[in-house]
Amino acid sequence: MMDLSIANFAQIIVACLLIIGLMVGNAVVMVYIERKACGFIQRRPGPYEVGPRGTIQAVCDSMKLLGKQIFIPGNVDWLLFFLAPILAFFPVLLLFLPIPFGKFLTGMRVDEGILLILAFSGIGVISNILAGWSSNNKYGLLGAARAVSQAVAYEIPMIMALLSVIFLSGTLNLSEIVERQGSWPWQWNIVCQPLAFFIYLVSLVGETNRAPFDLPEAESELTAGFHTEYSGMGFALFFLSEYANMLLVSFVCATFFLGGYKGPFLDGFWWMFIKAYLIMVFIVWIRWTFPRVRFDQLLNINWKWLLPLSIINLWVTAVVLRFV
Amino acid sequence: MDRAIEKILATIWLPFDGLEVLIAEYLPGQRVAALAAFGLYALIILAGGLMAIGSRNLVRAMLGLVLTFFGVAGMYLLLASPFLAFMQVLIYVGAVCVLIFFAIMLTRNTSEGEESRLPGPGTAIYGLLAFALPLAVLVPLIVRHAPKLQETAYGQTETRLLGQGLITGDVFSFELISIILLVAMAGAVFLAWRRPEPAAGAAGRGPAER
Repeated sequence: MMDLSIANFAQIIVACLLIIGLMVGNAVVMVYIERKACGFIQRRPGPYEVGPRGTIQAVCDSMKLLGKQIFIPGNVDWLLFFLAPILAFFPVLLLFLPIPFGKFLTGMRVDEGILLILAFSGIGVISNILAGWSSNNKYGLLGAARAVSQAVAYEIPMIMALLSVIFLSGTLNLSEIVERQGSWPWQWNIVCQPLAFFIYLVSLVGETNRAPFDLPEAESELTAGFHTEYSGMGFALFFLSEYANMLLVSFVCATFFLGGYKGPFLDGFWWMFIKAYLIMVFIVWIRWTFPRVRFDQLLNINWKWLLPLSIINLWVTAVVLRFV
Repeated sequence: MDRAIEKILATIWLPFDGLEVLIAEYLPGQRVAALAAFGLYALIILAGGLMAIGSRNLVRAMLGLVLTFFGVAGMYLLLASPFLAFMQVLIYVGAVCVLIFFAIMLTRNTSEGEESRLPGPGTAIYGLLAFALPLAVLVPLIVRHAPKLQETAYGQTETRLLGQGLITGDVFSFELISIILLVAMAGAVFLAWRRPEPAAGAAGRGPAER
């Protein structure tokens, strides 16, 4: 896995640079898609002034964000205040490394790829709570408290859903999981594991703090939740990592349930991107369709429905694999 | 003279001998890099520990703990077991630290309380004793019994071996740990459970029902 030869090291560096490009490009594209989709759903045009059909709007917004003053409120814990956005951004870089974009297009081949992703995505939660706590703001602290209980809760059904696919494939290696699936849609894991796919889809929205589960940053209740006090690049890093996290869980979903880079014709990374972006559009669609849930509802959905369902699903998978 | 220095160096490095062999086996010519990594991880662990015990601020102390956990995970990677390393990060950083943060937020967080004063000389002596006792027991043991490491291929079958070991040879201890965890959880629920008082009405609902 990790023979640190110069070639491998160079590969990882190049992969990291490409991933940074992907993260920034993804954020710009997703902001445009999101605002257009939101406008369509709410029967208004969305951005249309800047550039043809408003395509350059997101670029202008990010330029504005870059030029903004970084404002530090009084009595903050400055170390944690500056550390939090950095901690939100950099682990995401690592999370994209084991994703198999194509048959040979992987940043780093890790045998325990999915474990690496699950392990290091926990740092995102730490960054959220550090941001909320250190900014010396009641809204921030409340947002951090919500982020903690939500992340801890939704991680469990997520892992359980992924675990049933891992049972099927018998490996933790993401490339091998794709290899076990066929090219046609009925050969994908979603056919054997529809319930796991559904559970993963719901906990994916919960894990990325997106509406209707965006309690940690609920604008109408908490101003902006844990990143209330951040401006300029601090906010931009949180923003980037949020969209990158969305992209990451979509890639994992495509890898585990939708056959990854395989498609009916001409396997390649384009299939991976098409599938991931379809899931992203689905997440955006959900966001502008459903109202935000209440916090007790959010936790009840998780502990009373998703968790028992995922345990039953895992149990049935294990029994079927053992005796059939 | 040279031989003497060599001998002393060999004694110092005795506990890490197996490690070096393991690394030299699979990463030929990278012994120096591995030793540097070992030193770096050891520094991270120590720095995290110092931060955890030294800072007045509980959240900063938790951050030090996170740093220590990462250092330990790095050590696991160096010992050719990425599964344990990722599990270390997943469980301790992703779950335990987050729960610790929850506990910090539920308690009163002041930096002026009785706990935040610097410890007196008596406490320092006790602390030193607590530090020295395990050291006195462990160091001779480690030096006398140099680790007998099995040479396994890096990360190839480790997860499979671990799983098979847990459900065949060590199934009893594995189940015992689960029972201990279950008892702890049941005890926590029992302690937190408040029976609903009929007179209090809706306000008296137990925390488990809310």
